[in-house]
This record gives sequence, C-alpha cells and structure tokens, in this order.
Amino acid sequence: MEPILQVTDLTKTYGGRGSATTALAGVSLAVEKGEFVGVMGASGSGKTTLLNCVSTIDRPTSGSIRVEGFPLEKLKGKQLARFRREKLGFIFQDCNLLDTLTAFENIALALTICGAPAGRIPDRVREMAQLLEIEGCLQKYPYQMSGGQQQRVAAARALVTGPALILADEPTGALDSKSAKLLLERFQYLNQAADATLLMVTHDAFTASYCHRVIFLQDGQVYLELERGTRSRKSFFSDIIRVVTELGGESADVL
Amino acid sequence: MFSKLALRNVTRSVGDYTVYFLTIAFGVCLFYTFNSIEGQGAMSFLASADNPVVGGILAMINVFSVFVSVVLAGLILYANNFLIRRRKRELGTYFMLGMDPGRVSRLLLLETFFIGLAALAVGLVLGALLSHGLSLLTLSMFQVPMMEFHLSFSVEAAVKTAGYFAVIFLIVIFFNNISISRAKLIDLMQGERKNEELKQRPLAVSVVLFLAGALLLGAAYALLMIRGILTIDPLWFLMLGLGTLGTLLIFRSLSGFVLRMTQNQPRLYYKGLNMFTLRQWMSRVHSTYLSMTVICIMLLLAIGITACSVGLNGAIDSMTADEAVYDCTMQDYNEEGEPLSDRLRAAGLNLDGVFSDWHSGVLYYNKSEVTGVEAEMAVKLSDYNGLMAIQGLPALTLEGDTPQIRSEELGNRVGYREYVVIPDEMAQKLEVRRFVFSGSYAGEAMEAEAQFQAAFDQVVEQYSEGAYTAHTRLETYLDLMGNKILVLYLGLYLGATFLLASAAVLALQQLSQAADNTGRYAILRRLGTPERMMERSVFHQIALAFGLPLLLALVHAFVGMTSANQIIAEVGKVDVTTSSLITAALLLTIYGGYFLATFLAGRRLLFLKEK
Repeated sequence: MEPILQVTDLTKTYGGRGSATTALAGVSLAVEKGEFVGVMGASGSGKTTLLNCVSTIDRPTSGSIRVEGFPLEKLKGKQLARFRREKLGFIFQDCNLLDTLTAFENIALALTICGAPAGRIPDRVREMAQLLEIEGCLQKYPYQMSGGQQQRVAAARALVTGPALILADEPTGALDSKSAKLLLERFQYLNQAADATLLMVTHDAFTASYCHRVIFLQDGQVYLELERGTRSRKSFFSDIIRVVTELGGESADVL
Repeated sequence: MFSKLALRNVTRSVGDYTVYFLTIAFGVCLFYTFNSIEGQGAMSFLASADNPVVGGILAMINVFSVFVSVVLAGLILYANNFLIRRRKRELGTYFMLGMDPGRVSRLLLLETFFIGLAALAVGLVLGALLSHGLSLLTLSMFQVPMMEFHLSFSVEAAVKTAGYFAVIFLIVIFFNNISISRAKLIDLMQGERKNEELKQRPLAVSVVLFLAGALLLGAAYALLMIRGILTIDPLWFLMLGLGTLGTLLIFRSLSGFVLRMTQNQPRLYYKGLNMFTLRQWMSRVHSTYLSMTVICIMLLLAIGITACSVGLNGAIDSMTADEAVYDCTMQDYNEEGEPLSDRLRAAGLNLDGVFSDWHSGVLYYNKSEVTGVEAEMAVKLSDYNGLMAIQGLPALTLEGDTPQIRSEELGNRVGYREYVVIPDEMAQKLEVRRFVFSGSYAGEAMEAEAQFQAAFDQVVEQYSEGAYTAHTRLETYLDLMGNKILVLYLGLYLGATFLLASAAVLALQQLSQAADNTGRYAILRRLGTPERMMERSVFHQIALAFGLPLLLALVHAFVGMTSANQIIAEVGKVDVTTSSLITAALLLTIYGGYFLATFLAGRRLLFLKEK
C-alpha cells in the first residue's frame, strides 16, 4: 500500500546567492497509514521547515512531497487551500483557537469551511468531543478552558474533517506535564481507535516517546530513526534520551 | 532627511491614511462648497436683484460653518488618534533610537502637514466641482432666465477654508504633542498588546433586551404619530428618551438576538464562515453599541435635515404659482383715486410697449341689496373678463344679468377668496373700494420690470394721496428663491456634515478592529479557508457595521418624516419622491464611499499578514 506521506530528497534553502542558508539538505521519509511518527531535533535542525513544507505553508527548493500519492508541488492557489482543509489537520503549540467562538463552534468551523452538510455537523462534533473527552466544555469559550482542554479542542478540530494526515507542531510545548500526558494519551487513543495518522514535531523526549517511530533531524538531514516496536514506552524513552544526548554531544564537539 | 522620512511614512502607510485623508478632503470640499456660494450663479442673480435674503443666507452659512468646523475638528482629532494608536510601536522605536520627543512631534507634524496639504488640494478641486453641481441644481429649480454661467473658483472661499483647516491642524498638532510628551516607552512598545476581555453574556438576556428595545421604540413611534412632531412639552422629551433608549437596547442586543435565532437555523448557522462572522459581530458589541447609537442618531439627523429641507423646498415652490398669477399687479387702496393705467401713463410709462397685455380695473364694496348676493367685494364683468384674458382664462357671460360668485385671482395678492361679478351698469350703485392694474410683460421680463418699477415710484411720488402696492412675479419669485436656497443650502450643509461624521467614525472603528483581526484570519487561513470566503466574511462584518445604524436610522426617519410631512403639507404640496431621491444620492455618495474605502482597506489588511 502507498504511504500517506512520502517525502523524497527534500531540500530548502533560504536567502539568495552568497548568503544562502540550507534548512533542509535532502530529507527523505515516509509515513504509513495509521502511524504515529515523531520528528525530533535541536533548534535549527530543520524540523519546523519540514513541517511547513508538508503543510504547504512553505515551498521546498527541490525534492518532492506526496500525500496519498499526490505531488504537492502541482498545487496552486485555491487548490492549496482546498488541499489544506480536506487532507490535513493542524495542531499548533499555541493552540490557535478562535477566541470569539465556543469550543463547539471552533470544532464545527473546520467542517463548515469544507462545506459539510449542516445536518450532520453537531453529531460529528460531539463524536469528536467524546473521543477527546471534552464534552464538558463544548459551550465554553477558549479563555474559560485550561491549556490542556484548549489543546484537545484544537485536536478535535484537526480531526473532525477526517484528514489523511494530522500535523502537530510542539503540541505539548505550552502544557504542564500532567496535561501533556493526558493529551498524548488521547493522541495514542485516536491513533488506535480512529486510525488517525499523525506526524508530530517535538523537541521533548517524553512527548516523542508516545510515538511508534521517531525520526531525528540534524543540520537538515535525517540523522537516525528509532522504532519503538514492542518495547515499553519507558525503554523507548531511554533510547530517545540517549540519541538526544548523542546529538547534543556532537554539536558540543563542534563548539 | 527628516522630511524624507515623513514622506516615506506617509506613502508607506497610505492604506491607514486613506480614511484620514478622505475625511479631511470631504470636509474641505463641503466647507468650500458652501462658503463659495456667494459667487454662484443663483446667488449672484439674487444679489443683483438686491434681494435681502442674500445677506441672511451668507450670515447663516457663516454661523453654520463655525459649527461644522467644530464637528470636523472633532472628527479629524478622532482620526488622528486612530493613526497614533496604530503606530505606537513605530513611535516607540523612534524613542528607542534616541529621538527626543520634540523631534518625534516634528516628524508627526510634517506627516500631518503633507497629508493636510494634499487633502486640501484635492478637497478644493472636489469643492469647485461640487459647488458647480450645486449651482446647476439650484438653477434647475428656478425657471429664471439665466445669465452666462461657467465653472468658477472662489479664491476668497478657498482662503477661508484653508484658514479654518489650518486652525484645526494646529489643534491636532497640539494634542499630538501632548500625547507624545506624555507617552511612556513601555506603553508604546507594548501598544499591540491588548487586554480586551471577552465577556459573553447568556443569549437569553439578549433576546429579552431586544424585545424591550423594540417595545420602547414602538412606544416612542406611537407617541410621535399620535401627537405630531412639533408638540414640544415634557412628553416630547419622554418620546425622545424612549426612542434613544430603545435604539441603544437594540444595538446592545441585536447581535445576540440574531445569533440566537440563527442557531435554530442549522442551514444558515453552519454555512461557511457565518458562525465566525456572527461571533465577531457579537464580540464587538460591548465596545461599539454606544457609538452605534450615536451614529444612528447622527444619521437620523442627516437624513431628516436633508429630506425636510428638500421637502420644504418643494412645498415653498408650489406656493409661487398661487401667489403670482400676473407678471405684475399694482393696487391703489385710496377710494378717491383714478384708474391706475392713467396714472402709470402720466408717469411716462408706455403701457402698450412694456406690456403685451394689461388691464386696469376697479373693485367695489358689495351691497347685497344691490347685487342680491352676499360677498365682500364686487367687480364689473368687463374688468373681470379683462383680467381673466391676461391669465388666458375664458370670458364669462352673465345670463340674464344675474351676478355670479367667482373665485379666480384678480391680481397678485389682491386677496379675495370669493367675490361677485356684476353687470357693468350695476357698478354705478356701488362704492369704489380699490383700483387694480395687472399686466403681462412684453419682451424681457427684467427690463420690463425695471421700467414698471420706475413708473411705479414716479406715481407714488406724483400722486402721494394714494396708498399703493405693487407685487410682481419676479419679486415673489426672488423672495421664494431666496427662502428656498436658504432652506436647501443649510439643510444640505448640515446633513452632509453629519453624514460625513458618522461614516468616518464607523470607518475608523472598523479599520482599528480589522487590525486586531489579522491574527484570527491567519488561523482561518491555516485551516484552509478559501480567500473568497474570508473576503465575504470581512464584507459581511463591515456591511453589518455600516448597514445597521443606517437601517434603524431610516426606519426612524421614515416615521419622523411621515409626521413632519403632515406639517410641511400645511405649507404646500410635499414632493416625497424628489426629497427621497436627493437624500438617497447624498447618502450613497458619502456613506457608500466610506463603506467602499473601508472594505477595500479591510481586505488589504486581510492579505497583508501572510506576506
């Protein structure tokens, strides 16, 4: 079966001649349906650039990105917006809920933008809310909710349209450890129960340990991939920590 | 270097300056137009005829100009504050770089100066055009033979306008200096941060408030319709209070009410960005309902004043025809006089040269024992027929010499509603009451009128025992024309000013909100919202802000005008169509112009963030 996301030899350079900065220097990776993949790396390793390219916010310099086999470089203007709203779901660090709308409306908005039939919207929103355990705060405004609740609402909004791929950028970055754990458990549950495919960028080893697979980036290249396999989360976590230290050590050598 | 920075600032933030520029330019244009009317075709025509209304009109325009300039000063200050707020960060950076407050003030002064100068120039050009248009409008209202007429520019009015606006700018600069010297760097640098608390109240409250508002308005309308608009007593103020409070409540609760109603309509509620648009509207209500109310009332004044002045104008117009049926009428109240044609001839007037048709007649005291009819006054059949012939009316025959009651006008302001026409020989038994002379000018009216007036003055001097009056059509016409122009000009002047003020305030409010919204649109864009959908939402939001006060003001105005027209109708015929059309044209130009400018600027802000 074709992978949901196929990135091949992706490069991205910023700036013009003479002062070019390479953010991505030939990254290739694939995410299969139903996978929960983490991308780790120090700041400047290119992980945010990678995410921006996949989410079509930025355009790569060369290389190709395919989502469900469809090459993104062929999309333009209106098609891009359409691709974004139909195939992708986003979860950001600062959860990006609209402050003037209730949680319910925030989730429903993702559906109305796609032009979903009005009759089915409330049910689908409630279904998602149940999955993420936020039924209690559907009528609340963002400022009335905790950070963890807001992030779960954002997750529900990302998922409600049934996207092929969910992109999460440091989703636990602004959360305390307890809320972070709750959110990640929900991600895991969504991944298993709803067969959602997630690509999560993080610099936090604990967060990454919830993934099936972690890809480490350094200087715009894939440094290493770790598979969790059947190991316990704790032993996976120690492995990740080891690689992170290794990476940190190497850059320390450079200094 | 310094002026270069100022110029660059202006050109760079042209979008922000649009509304500011537009406001000043429109203000200048209005101010110039109404202050330049002295040299306009209709006014110079009036002045050439020594019409006393001219001085009155000019004096009133002067007084109103002071009032208008106060309104404009407030408006320009408001617009200026909006700009400063938008640029807090930039100003903070200047301070950080070590510019002292004096220099920053001078920088702002230069910017204001450039903008002001450009707006003044544009405003004056627009003003010259509008002034021309106003002249044409005025001229088209009168069938007076017009003298040569061309596009003119009044230097005097331009200087006066520039002077008033210079003072306004001095005030703006003064306030800028104060706000800059008082500004704290920390506030400037964090100017972008806002602590806007989004308090949402239960929707049920909105529904109750809305119904209460509607009820209050209904009560105010009922009071107005039952009692009329001019019964000014405590109840009148109660009506005003009820109306204002009702308007306030409706603006306060309308968004919540509509939201609540829409939630029951899933097809509407869950369509595109409707949900977002409604919530945006609702989230603003707490900070805007007061200004919405004020704007609604200003719009009501603008519409009311414009429509009333145009309506009254039409009413006055319909009076002309009744008052002056002859080109000229002369009367002598002295019962011992002689036919006026003889006296005019004696004064050297060539009657058959000046008049194409004339008749000199006598009015008698009616005696019912002679005529057998109750009436105040009697006139001989030959005189009656002679006078009617000038008007082009058919001759009368008295069957069997029976006197007959008639009611046609026997002259300008002769003033008998009913009189009796008698056979000529019956007049010998009656006493003379008045002598009348009426005629139609041959040739050019103004020339003939001058000759007639000269002869009239001569008669007054030569036969001083008489009590003479003369009423000419031209004179009546000029009087009316003066009154019409006074009413129309002042009405349009005030109406346009109020309209300008409310549109500008709305536009500035919308733009400052649009700036706060960029973050929200960035989220929507990330969710993959099509640009068209967002544009539509921006359009809807701005249309709501502009449309609602207008809509409510129109309803108020409709009820108010219905009541006012009853009074105007007592003066003359009310021409609802014309007054509505002119008001609509004014509304469309000023209000529509601002709406469009705001939408374009709002859309530009929408695109700005992504780059």
